[in-house]
Amino acid sequence: MISEVSVLYFAKGAELTGLKSETVKLPSELTTLQLWQELEGRHPKLSVIREQVVLAVRQEYVALGDQSVSLRDGDEVAVIPPLSGG
Amino acid sequence: MEEVLQLKGQIKEKERELVILRKKLAQLEKLSDFPTDDLLDKITPLAPVTPKTSLTNEDIMRFSRQLLLPELGVKGQLKLSKTSVLVVGCGGLGCPLAQYLAAAGIGRLGLLDHDEVELSNLHRQVLHSERTQGQPKSHSAAQAIRRLNSTVQCVPYHLQLSSENALQLIQQYDIVADCSDNVPTRYLVNDACVLSGKPLVSASALRMEGQLTVYNYNGGPCYRCLYPVPPPPETVTNCSDGGVLGVVPGIMGCLQALEVLKIASGQGSSYGQQLLMFDGQGSRFRSIRLRPKQAGCAVCGENPTVTQLQDYETFCGSAATDKCRRLNLLSKEQRITVQDYKSIVDSSTPHILLDVRPQVEVDICHLPSSLNIPLASLEQRKAEHIHLLRERISDLKQQLDAQSQVPVYVVCKQGNDSQKAVQILEKMSGPEVDCVSVRDICGGLMAWAQKIEPSFPQY
Ligand SMILES: [Zn+2]
Repeated sequence: MISEVSVLYFAKGAELTGLKSETVKLPSELTTLQLWQELEGRHPKLSVIREQVVLAVRQEYVALGDQSVSLRDGDEVAVIPPLSGG
Repeated sequence: MEEVLQLKGQIKEKERELVILRKKLAQLEKLSDFPTDDLLDKITPLAPVTPKTSLTNEDIMRFSRQLLLPELGVKGQLKLSKTSVLVVGCGGLGCPLAQYLAAAGIGRLGLLDHDEVELSNLHRQVLHSERTQGQPKSHSAAQAIRRLNSTVQCVPYHLQLSSENALQLIQQYDIVADCSDNVPTRYLVNDACVLSGKPLVSASALRMEGQLTVYNYNGGPCYRCLYPVPPPPETVTNCSDGGVLGVVPGIMGCLQALEVLKIASGQGSSYGQQLLMFDGQGSRFRSIRLRPKQAGCAVCGENPTVTQLQDYETFCGSAATDKCRRLNLLSKEQRITVQDYKSIVDSSTPHILLDVRPQVEVDICHLPSSLNIPLASLEQRKAEHIHLLRERISDLKQQLDAQSQVPVYVVCKQGNDSQKAVQILEKMSGPEVDCVSVRDICGGLMAWAQKIEPSFPQY
């Protein structure tokens, strides 16, 4: 099963990918780490923010690891690195 | 006769007005003086804020519009009046935050910043003014706050928050607002808040985006729960490099003030386990539900390894400032000074000046006859740009004898990107950039403006 989700890139994420958002076809069932690896596979430069990134699925934080996540068509995945400016 | 009386009356009236105007002037002059005596450069113990038991008539009039809110009321207002808030950083976030807290009748405001007011601050740091340029920001902010509400106790600290002073300072306040501009300070403030049990209302902003979370509050996470590992310094963009639209930190600072007021008045914050994101370009807010406090957190977890403050500059690998870092990637032979470049220009020695800043910065200012190829294009080996460079090299080669190398001088704003560009150009082999000698201009265009051409704009 494949789901079509919309991935949003914020701050450094947008800078590294050159995108603010994109529609991506991903496996409907995968682990949070696999989800991140899918994104990193599309945009290898994202690897530099891997340790700080807040990855959110349907506006909820998911830690990168082996817990599974189900994606449905139209779901929103957000890549949010911290901002430190003021 | 009647006319005489009328005139006398008018004169008396004018005289009364004059007295009032003189008083006002004297008051303003007193405020804009530079009383260094109340500016703290070290931390001294403060007496607790005296709790008010009732509101004065003046309080009632001043706060009438918010007293009418059942969410606040007299009870909430009295709580505000006995709350102290430490504002870490009197910049783009701290200014609007402090302004609204003072306006709303917070009891005491600690205003901390080690920097002085610069012209390039004024587009977003709205408590400062043309008149307070060069003054410590904490002092400039305190003056503005006193003009707004003289009943708020302002404690300006002109110092850098450090592992040595942070705990002593933060212990004296009820709520801490992180309005800082760099990563080491964010970890320092977090740890100090966890160790002293204070809620941390934290916001940040860059370009057109902002973020806000309340850390260490009601079982929610701390900054380290969310970001246990600091970001590699080269991945961090600050406002002086990346830019920021002033109103964006303005919006985030106002939201921070709202959360502080809710916590201080007893309503509680809704952002204890949420990350609020503001995207100014799409004018959208999003709230991300965060994970709770982590049992394994190094500072707020069950077996903390951080039990006292650390060296945060070492931990983060960067300085506690948003000023530009100075890279040193090249050997002495690969660099020239602005003075040396000036004599190359003066002697009309044939060369290529390659400006590797992004187009948006070239539009601000550039040296005549420079060729603009942004560093990003060089990194990606963009064909049209490489072609452009090759053309310029071969044009110049025709003017020189066949044996000599074409000198290429690379320039950017401050001399960091230019070094990266030299490294890339040296790695490029093949016909496009062969037979060139590449060097970078130390200190970039800002050094040029400071040392060679004072009329060249600085930004
Ligand atoms: Zn924690």
